[in-house]
Amino acid sequence: MRRGAQIVLDCLRAEGVDLAFGYPGGAIMPLYDALEGSGIRHVLTRHEQGAVFAAEGYARATGKVGVAIATSGPGATNLVTGIADAKMDSVPLVCITGQVRSPLIGTDAFQETDVFGMTLSLTKWNRLVRSTEEIPRVIAEAFHWARSGRPGPVMIDIPVDMMKASVEFTGSVHFTPRAPACGSGRVGSESTFATTLIALLQQAKKPVALVGAGAKLSGAVEDLQQTLDLLNIPAFATVHGLGAVRQDSPYYLGMVGMHGTRAANMALDETDLLLVFGARLDDRVTGEPTRFAPHAKIVHFEIDPMQLDRVRACELPVIGNLAKTIPAFFQEAQRAHLPDFSAWRAVASGAERAEPRKAGLAHPTKSFLEQLFARMPENGTVLADVGQHQMWAAQCFRASSPRGFITSGGLGAMGFALPAAVGVQLGRPNTTVLCVSGDGGFQMNIQELATVHRLELPIKMVIIDNKFLGMVRQWQELFFARNYAETDLSDNPDFVEIAKAYKISASLLKEEEFLDPAASANVARRLDRFLRSNQPELLVFECHPEANVYPMVPSGASLSEMVFEE
Amino acid sequence: MHIFHIRYRNTQGTLMRILSAVSRRGIDLPYVQAEPTEHIHKVTLLMDANAKQVGQLCREWRGVVDVVDVRPGAPIKELWDHAHLDLPHPPDSVGAAENARSATA
Repeated sequence: MRRGAQIVLDCLRAEGVDLAFGYPGGAIMPLYDALEGSGIRHVLTRHEQGAVFAAEGYARATGKVGVAIATSGPGATNLVTGIADAKMDSVPLVCITGQVRSPLIGTDAFQETDVFGMTLSLTKWNRLVRSTEEIPRVIAEAFHWARSGRPGPVMIDIPVDMMKASVEFTGSVHFTPRAPACGSGRVGSESTFATTLIALLQQAKKPVALVGAGAKLSGAVEDLQQTLDLLNIPAFATVHGLGAVRQDSPYYLGMVGMHGTRAANMALDETDLLLVFGARLDDRVTGEPTRFAPHAKIVHFEIDPMQLDRVRACELPVIGNLAKTIPAFFQEAQRAHLPDFSAWRAVASGAERAEPRKAGLAHPTKSFLEQLFARMPENGTVLADVGQHQMWAAQCFRASSPRGFITSGGLGAMGFALPAAVGVQLGRPNTTVLCVSGDGGFQMNIQELATVHRLELPIKMVIIDNKFLGMVRQWQELFFARNYAETDLSDNPDFVEIAKAYKISASLLKEEEFLDPAASANVARRLDRFLRSNQPELLVFECHPEANVYPMVPSGASLSEMVFEE
Repeated sequence: MHIFHIRYRNTQGTLMRILSAVSRRGIDLPYVQAEPTEHIHKVTLLMDANAKQVGQLCREWRGVVDVVDVRPGAPIKELWDHAHLDLPHPPDSVGAAENARSATA
């Protein structure tokens, strides 16, 4: 006989879990009681949102399933933002919550919430466990759906009495899905899509490739690079696709979208054949959807049929794991006679499409980030929170490491980066982890400094402090007549002193000092020391409060209508 | 008006996922009928959605783990009669004043 809580942990171990993030509470106590000796290391965060973001960071950095644990009621509701984030960004995540005793369910008992109902639309799959006996099957199924197809979050809600009850347990089970549910409806035939695509390429004058996170998630980065090398067409990446294409590739034009490069956005606006590799084409990438790639036929390599035709109908859907479909195309393409696109590539990457001269109020901050990133080892990981600093970091990121840039892209959840960095550092302990936040977002999960300190994680934390909710302020400046309503953070606390209170070494670098030629050698030494330290470190960079992110495609505009700093 | 017949395995939450795909888009459902058919269940939905929403809905339904298939159907008279499409929504019979009286009673 084995108690339900022990069975949960046994099944987690059987799924390969050796690390979980969580926060205990009344309804989950039996699980915590059974932790010791289970073979699972538990990391106590200081808030359930910290736990779920840390689990996400771990999953994003390692490709494994992240596990977050919380109690019922407020514990469960605090997970919800992280679950939504994982859904948007295709992160495999299993969340386990305690629930009130089963006889009390539906009575508005103490700390009872319908977390099953709440997470229906945020998860790929969820379950309220109804008997201790079904725990092994539920956990096996949860991991199956979290990992399969387009990865995503699942949630298991377990009433506390079912964790306490003892039943016969003969071991974990393997879940085999029943016959596949639905077809995609419009699946390009594997045997013919390559031929069709080659024909499209032979007719095309201005083909381009848009690379998203799917290329990385499917492990198709090398195959993709090989294919792009062969095609030799302009290529660019979404924010989640950064690192999937070698930055020094002659055809690479950088990031595309709202704050993408001029070259990438112009090429996307002019193309007559758009190859999409694992991107869902959200509005931050497309600009005004009705004016997106107006002259293009679209070929969409995608694992999830749900992502097809969301913005524009595609001419050729290629449904399947990119690790299979890209090599299948490459084999055919090698044998085909493809046009020479070098003239088009030269136009797309020509000097007249280069970024404007570096100037403006954001220049010092971008220069600071570039200097930091240049010091990062090739396999290092940069995390960015959400806001202006996120876009500056994405614009400055130059590494070619598939998991080298991690951010909350789809949901845009402020407060993501610091707890996610905890998960990244634990998942990749020998990696340099650089966490870039804004002064607003950092305060949303600032309590995780305690987790960083407790675990002695050598995370390098940077706060880009402009004493504003910068991105909102930028929009207020540009589109709301400078009415800076409720975005002023000029009464921020002293971050250096706060970090020291958490026993974390911290220092301040002001923009004026960074720009002072006489201080440059000293600044360089400080940055070197900061990144080389084997302890957690915080560096606060005070920048101009009215620095903006440019280029920018205003909301409702097409990609060709980018705005640059005057 | 569009009609869809969706067959699904009657596991926890599957019907709710089917319905919430509609409600999250702010689309009214004047008619819903769920029934067991052999080993699986079928739900019939009547709604007014534009072509883009129909495409999105079909893809979202097909992505639900235990949905077996999604088929558009032709409206039949009985269904139209059940739908009470001529009634305003929310019903006129429940006015704000009446709600307020109930709330303070």
